[in-house]
Amino acid sequence: MDESLQELENELKRLRPQSLPDPLLQRLERELGAVQAPRRYTTATSLRSWKWAGWSLAGAAMVALGVFAVSLSRTGTATRAAHGAPVVAATSHPSPVANRYEPVRASSVLYELKDDGATYLPDQTPGRQVRYRYVDTYTWKNPATKASLKWSVPRDEVRLVQASLD
Amino acid sequence: MERPHGNETWKEWIGAHGPRLLLCARQWTRSLADAEDVLQEAFVRFWRHQRDLPGDPQALLLVSIRRAALDLARRNDRRLAREQRADGGLEETVTLFARLPGEGDERRQEIEAALGRLPDEQREVLVLKIWQELRFEQIGELLGISPNTAASRYRYALTALRTQLEPLCHG
Repeated sequence: MDESLQELENELKRLRPQSLPDPLLQRLERELGAVQAPRRYTTATSLRSWKWAGWSLAGAAMVALGVFAVSLSRTGTATRAAHGAPVVAATSHPSPVANRYEPVRASSVLYELKDDGATYLPDQTPGRQVRYRYVDTYTWKNPATKASLKWSVPRDEVRLVQASLD
Repeated sequence: MERPHGNETWKEWIGAHGPRLLLCARQWTRSLADAEDVLQEAFVRFWRHQRDLPGDPQALLLVSIRRAALDLARRNDRRLAREQRADGGLEETVTLFARLPGEGDERRQEIEAALGRLPDEQREVLVLKIWQELRFEQIGELLGISPNTAASRYRYALTALRTQLEPLCHG
């Protein structure tokens, strides 16, 4: 960039946008005046998040599925052996431990935030129902075979928030 | 733009960042009133529901403001929109910038007028670069264009401004 453009750029940077007009601040005051301290969100990467419980359950289900697949294949091998077929696959099947998928990644993407309208909170005070729509994606990996499995699950989270009394 | 910290009030935060956000909103709307509406909508949503979300709050707010502006434009009457765009985008004579301390106001007015004559796509890049201090990569991501295109538009905008302002400087 040549010198004159640089000077112009610096001149522009010296300009400060106008302050917000008072009527806008008053409207914001009406909307946000009653908002309390910020809520803390849990994320999919938080170890204390409830989602990790679901993730563990899904992992356990995967392990059970792996054990079931192995026992099924062993039954097939035994059947073939009984009929005189060569037993070649018995040593090539991975053990249940080798078939284990381990969770390696979890992510959560908020793709829509929707105000469902006015409602009453459990203590009968007025509130609003807000719907958060996420896609949670979980990835498992089998360290032995390097195979990976990815689940993307849509999730709606409905929250009741205190309404402004203004 | 820093994330709002725990005990910061919305007034402090909007006081620090609101003027620049309103300036950006103004680039994507047809009037100051519309810009205020979309800023209000985006900021209220951000403060109530999104300020603790991971990511850059500036990017989140700008995306939200731009989306609200586009939604508002779609809701408005198409014929009216065409007429106003034909007037050159920033059709109002609203002062965008504060008067510079200790200086005459003529230069600021000239710059504002020259900004108003820029094509929309150049002006929005210029505003995001100068007053939001975004990088070209961030501008490209926000506007759905490549960083190179953003950089070109920025350069074209500065060159056009210089052309418009130079006769005033030397004349």
